[in-house]
Amino acid sequence: MPHEPTCAPEEGGATGRTSRIADLLTTYGERVGNALVYSSAYLAAIAMAEVAIAMALLSLPPNPAPVVVGLVTFAVYTNDRVADADSDAVSDPDRSAFVRRHRSSLYLLGSVAYGLAVAISVLGGPVALAVTLLPGAFWVAYAADWVPNLAPRLRRLKEVLVVNSLVVALAWATTVTALPVAFTDAAVTPATAVVFAYFLLRSFVDTEIPNVGDVEADRATDVATLPVAFGVPATRRALYCVDLFTVGLVGVAASVGVLRAGPAVALAVGVAYSLVVTGLLGRADDDAVALASECEYLVVAAALVGPLLRV
Amino acid sequence: MLSPGTLTAVMLLTVVVGTTAAFLAWRERQEPGAVPLTAMLAGQVWWSVFFVLEHRAGTLAAKAFYSDVQWLGVVMIPVAWLLFALEYTGRDRYVRPRYIALLSVVPVVTVVLAATNDYHDLLYLDTRLVTGTGRPILDRVAGPWYWVVTGYTYLLGILGSIPLLRLVHSDTLPFRGQSLGVLVGTLAPWASNVLFLAGALPVPSLDPTPVFFAVSGVAYLGSITRFRLLGTSPSANHRARRLVFERMREGAVVVDRHDYVVDMNEQAAEILDVEPGNVLGEPAAEVIPRYGQLPEEGRSSRHLTLGEGLQSRQYDVTVTTFGDFHGRSLGGVISFHDVSDHLRRQQRLEVLNRVLRHNIRTETNLIYGNADLIDAEGTHVDAVKAGAMRIEAISDKARDVIDIFERGRQSGRSLTLSAVLEECVEAVRADHPSVTVDLEVGPDDDPTDGTAVSVSPVLTSVLMNVVENAAEHNDSADPWVGVRATCADEAVEIRVADNGPGISDHERAALERGNETPLDHGSGLGLWLIAWGTELADGDLTIGDREGGGTVVTVCVPRIASEGE
Repeated sequence: MPHEPTCAPEEGGATGRTSRIADLLTTYGERVGNALVYSSAYLAAIAMAEVAIAMALLSLPPNPAPVVVGLVTFAVYTNDRVADADSDAVSDPDRSAFVRRHRSSLYLLGSVAYGLAVAISVLGGPVALAVTLLPGAFWVAYAADWVPNLAPRLRRLKEVLVVNSLVVALAWATTVTALPVAFTDAAVTPATAVVFAYFLLRSFVDTEIPNVGDVEADRATDVATLPVAFGVPATRRALYCVDLFTVGLVGVAASVGVLRAGPAVALAVGVAYSLVVTGLLGRADDDAVALASECEYLVVAAALVGPLLRV
Repeated sequence: MLSPGTLTAVMLLTVVVGTTAAFLAWRERQEPGAVPLTAMLAGQVWWSVFFVLEHRAGTLAAKAFYSDVQWLGVVMIPVAWLLFALEYTGRDRYVRPRYIALLSVVPVVTVVLAATNDYHDLLYLDTRLVTGTGRPILDRVAGPWYWVVTGYTYLLGILGSIPLLRLVHSDTLPFRGQSLGVLVGTLAPWASNVLFLAGALPVPSLDPTPVFFAVSGVAYLGSITRFRLLGTSPSANHRARRLVFERMREGAVVVDRHDYVVDMNEQAAEILDVEPGNVLGEPAAEVIPRYGQLPEEGRSSRHLTLGEGLQSRQYDVTVTTFGDFHGRSLGGVISFHDVSDHLRRQQRLEVLNRVLRHNIRTETNLIYGNADLIDAEGTHVDAVKAGAMRIEAISDKARDVIDIFERGRQSGRSLTLSAVLEECVEAVRADHPSVTVDLEVGPDDDPTDGTAVSVSPVLTSVLMNVVENAAEHNDSADPWVGVRATCADEAVEIRVADNGPGISDHERAALERGNETPLDHGSGLGLWLIAWGTELADGDLTIGDREGGGTVVTVCVPRIASEGE
């Protein structure tokens, strides 16, 4: 019969318990983190931050737009990842494995999310409903496999250089800007146009940066992106130009009084952050750079909220 | 009565459920019925969305506009419903562009009339706002076309329900669940619509039909996910076909286009040794052996052997695919035709044919040749006699073969193992006195204590031939045959060893192969008699070499209940 421990059992037990708790936290924390990243749930949170920024820039009252955009983002990106799970196996095997393992659940969750978004948007009226349906319609046009069947000459928009990123950027800029406006029945002003242009440029950058890590997979599936067509250094330079163009836009808008100084500074901080991230393209881990790029809006949100907290 | 807030909440729930179900149905768009189902759900969502917008609008004009827009979804539902029912139940030959266009005439006219009602009042005679306890509600007086489209909607609904109601009678439980899900999903809103038209609702001016589409959405969602509505398509499953399917002698398994088992008859279940309820919906490769090696269409070039050893059975396997009217594959039928008896009869005929043509003919020629010489040399008389004796021996064996076939058909008879063994050993000892024959029987087989082991009577002929062969062909200087029986709970193993020359490879090969050819055959009937007898006794036969020379023949047969038990 084995001897029972005779000394300091509480100490050993406490250490063991602590160790087990740490192990459990680590294991489940990692799983939750993976689920958030691989399922695109974190993108939904970032999209909600984008709408909140747009609302702050346009001085709109609270409304359900951020929730609707979060749900739509989750639905569209989840469905996109489910549809591309097999081709993503080359560029992102971990994410692809996660998506394939939970394919049915993710598709169901994405469908429920879109249903919820549509239902909530009905409360905002027909314009809000139309704007909510927009990303789904763009997604269908962007990646649907039946488009080539309908028109053999028409390649999937996803495969056309620049157009692919522009379509995505256009959809998100329209949704992020127009939905809170529609929900609050606010008037369309020059500030609305500036906010739209800002999100169009930022979304374009956010769409092209992850393409650097997907070069092999995109090349294998005939998807033309900036890094596939021109290489990583040229992509970096092109995105620098877009960042600088954004700085110019924000600067002009602030100088003519369309944007207030505080929000303009916050946007400039975000662009400065983006310049640093763009500078890391091809020089750091692609996934980390892509994730950092998507977090730009959190930086802008912090820059917007930070001064308020200090006051 | 529902408050405006509750009504809006319920309608929004309808939108959530309908949108989700539409996405799920669209995902299955390759399956029969999925596209019309998506259209039906889209129509339901459209109707519900604009119902909410109408309900929340503040002016008569806005409410009337949203009410008119609802018609697009309203008229889409019955057409999609009928197309779904036709496709899903295998009547897709009616789902053709010209028929769809024909079915869409009334809906298109309705939408046009809704958009232009101010100019003709065909759809609505009057439109006004009525104020109840809450918000003002749109009150419209139906015009003549309203009743036309209502009748048309119900007509399509009934036409679609007929094939689905037939499906409810399907003997296959999963399909019944699917059909009930679909019927509940459809009957709920229609029943509410009937009540609305009959004025039997507390708020006569409020059509609650879209509210009940929440029930539809849940039922459809359940059908899609829980009952795998579109994952396993029943297609054509009519009663008469069912009857033929169940009564056919061949085993038949129906698989869908994704190679999942969707149906099988009892014969197939018996052949594959499965419980139909457990394997419906399972991948065919997990149910049918060598499924991956079957041809796409037609008969398999190799027989499928199921079971082990002498208990195995052989089947001709044929794959017959079928598709829908548009040429899309729906699945296939895998049929199993038992050819075991045919193959065994063929085996036996081959052997008997060889015996008659070769052995008996040779011996007869020998007799004939020697008979001519009888007057010349007297010694040839012995040769004639010996030849005649061999013919007689072969005849005896042939009779034994027939005898064991007869005994094999008689069930219920049994003999004690010790009696069978002693009879065989005594007979061989008498016929071959120069051969030492040892007998060792396991301790369980003791007739005196009532634990005697009973075996099939067929075993007598089998063991007699095994022991006799071992003694007769033993050319050793000190010929020996050992017989040892070992009894277990369920079976008996009899091991017959000798120190003779052994059984030739080509004789063993013929036994293992199961047939003979004119150039490659055995020397007599003895070994075949042993093999067939063992098979009839539900046993196994193995032939091996003995260490130090000779052969070991092992016969393993099941114990059976004695006649007295």
